[in-house]
Amino acid sequence: MRKTYCGSHEHGYNRRAFLGGALAAGAAAFTDMTQLNSLAHSAMAGELKKQQKRVIMLWLAGGASQLETFDPKPGASTGGPFRSIQTDIPGVRISELMPKMAQRLKHTCIIRSLDTKNGDHGSGAQLMMRGRRNEATINYPDLGAILAREMGRADSKVPDYVSFYTQTEGRGAAPGDPGFLGSRYAPMELTASMMPENLKMLNGITELDHQQRADLRELISKKFSKDRTSVTLGSHNEAYQRVRGLMASEKLFDINQESQSVRDKYGPTQFGEQALVARRLVEAGVPFVRVGRAWWDSHGQNFETHQEMVPELDHVMATLIDDLKERGLLENTMIITLSEFGRTPGINASLGRDHFASAWSTTLTGCGIKGGVCYGKSDAKGERVVEGAMDAGSLFATIYRALGIDPQKEYFIGDRPVPLVNPGVKEVETLLT
Amino acid sequence: MSANPDKLKLIKEHSLKMICFGIAQVPKSSRFYLGGSDFKVYEVDLAANKFEPAEKYAHESYVTTLALSGNQLVSGGYDGKLIWWDTEAKKQIRSIEGHSRWIRKIALSPDGKILASVADDMVCRIWDLQTGKKIRELRGHAEKTPSHFDSMLYAVAFSPDGKWLATADKIGHIVLWDLESGKQLYSLEAPVMYTWDKVQRLHSIGGIRSLAFSPNGKLLAVGGTGKIGNIDHLEAKVRIEIFDLEAKKQIGEYVGDKSQGLINHMQFAPDGTWLIGAGGANDGCMVFLSVKDKKFLRQEKMGMHVHQFLTNEAADTIWSVGHNRLAIHELKA
Repeated sequence: MRKTYCGSHEHGYNRRAFLGGALAAGAAAFTDMTQLNSLAHSAMAGELKKQQKRVIMLWLAGGASQLETFDPKPGASTGGPFRSIQTDIPGVRISELMPKMAQRLKHTCIIRSLDTKNGDHGSGAQLMMRGRRNEATINYPDLGAILAREMGRADSKVPDYVSFYTQTEGRGAAPGDPGFLGSRYAPMELTASMMPENLKMLNGITELDHQQRADLRELISKKFSKDRTSVTLGSHNEAYQRVRGLMASEKLFDINQESQSVRDKYGPTQFGEQALVARRLVEAGVPFVRVGRAWWDSHGQNFETHQEMVPELDHVMATLIDDLKERGLLENTMIITLSEFGRTPGINASLGRDHFASAWSTTLTGCGIKGGVCYGKSDAKGERVVEGAMDAGSLFATIYRALGIDPQKEYFIGDRPVPLVNPGVKEVETLLT
Repeated sequence: MSANPDKLKLIKEHSLKMICFGIAQVPKSSRFYLGGSDFKVYEVDLAANKFEPAEKYAHESYVTTLALSGNQLVSGGYDGKLIWWDTEAKKQIRSIEGHSRWIRKIALSPDGKILASVADDMVCRIWDLQTGKKIRELRGHAEKTPSHFDSMLYAVAFSPDGKWLATADKIGHIVLWDLESGKQLYSLEAPVMYTWDKVQRLHSIGGIRSLAFSPNGKLLAVGGTGKIGNIDHLEAKVRIEIFDLEAKKQIGEYVGDKSQGLINHMQFAPDGTWLIGAGGANDGCMVFLSVKDKKFLRQEKMGMHVHQFLTNEAADTIWSVGHNRLAIHELKA
């Protein structure tokens, strides 16, 4: 480390000052992490619960079928083989594949009337992660990036936006994207494992060495950026400043820190384990976590695909709701289940369903959203929306409002004001608490 | 004249309003029963001037399988029910909750007295056809796949002498049973029939979809599909494996080079020298293979995903059903 000291007066001063407080600072940082890891029992946790809102998005990559989940049509020619079951919302029935959620819909709002007009994996995923289409001159930030900006804490030691997408299929079509907000709000993408790679400090580097390196990097960056203006440069600098916090959050990704009984509740599947990590992250103050579960694109054997995957979704959603509720977190944590689109009512020759964006479903649970609500309606065969049509913009405006964020709030690209949702797009007030 | 796959010829085809999964024939007649995706069981006379299936009764989900013995028709469905229908009195005899999950297949013993049903509750149940009483349960298939998801029990077949039963599941596990004692004789494995794709899609599909004993009872054909690259569309080559039941090992492996998808149904020719398999993906297929030469004789497109077929005794006429269609082929010189 000492070899990197440039010898300047400025650096020498900073270095001396830094070295004086380094040990204390390092200790403080890790004390903070220790607290984060035991938030459930700390006073700080209680404060967070009251104030900070968070979102867990269950991203059903490839397009889950609304007919085999939240908008069944048993007996219709399009209905498929599954029966529907009564839920705890009077008169509302969902697929028999979701018995656990059927008993928990009092916490959840089902929206059965999405008409998003885009049945392409790539651009559909972009639309449903941003609430609108990119323009030629504007790359909009996705929901995670906006919530990282709006709900992240400047002094946070944890990431603001974490995205699990472990499978390869569809990952490239649905990357986390901070858009014009810059890399400061880019997600921590977990694609190869449950644990962020390279988070551990290298062997042979001490805590002091690490802080000295950070100090030197900051000094050089400041000199470099003195006469330059660049959003990218600024966001890179901020990202570096957060590295130490991220490194100290390693334990948050380790489900071995949870009791066996809690792990058993989430189950042994990768989706369940990632949902448990998501709960650990939001509990520690991460504003937005996306758990991508691929691959629902069931052009062949749709019913067997859903017979395999929907019960897992049912279990993970129900467990998350129970766990967040028991921990007092559901009031301030929203669970979103979303795909890039739904699946065709028509059943193809391979017993599959194809891409369909004209009448499909999503759910919102917790944090500012009325539970026990079934909004919108598709027709008897599920071929079109007949009541409460909702597009991606309205859905996002509703999510923003529920989280206490004004959808009309403007960001600026240079001098150009850019509201969070397109002009004229409104939230659906009846879904808000 | 014996059936000859070289002479395969489409004689007639009929459109169906539903996806037809099951077909049964009143012996030596032109009357058939059909069951399918509209939850209903129909009777149709193919010799009538007009193709007009008449609704007889209904399940509460897809009707996936039919068996007929004497005047007793039995249907099984995804509602878990087995329904008995008297074809002469034209009335329902009984409906029982046969399984707690989807019934995939029922098979009739060669003497027509015993029924075997398999379902996704991973149990094979043996029934007295006349009384509807359960004789026994056979449990030898894991309820979960190695990846902790629910498994599926697709196929069942009686040996020609009625003494043995074979069952096969999603992960390629095959069990041979002694019917009288209900005990497992041994098991076989066809693991290539099962695709678990953790890296690309975190999803499994495939499985052994069909079983057929050779007429002499010495061979067992196992049908499904190979390792699936594109799970979305079932784009893998059709696959049939043949096991020697004395040696307890696979002796033949047939991989389609012109046909893709699942082999849903199989039947040996009366002399056991060749075998018919049918199924498919988007494009249905019917394949004919030579047991001795270990090669395909023909691989034909069917214009429908075939779910089941029947032949006459000489196997020179084939009635196949599938996606919105019923087709009649002949193999006559």
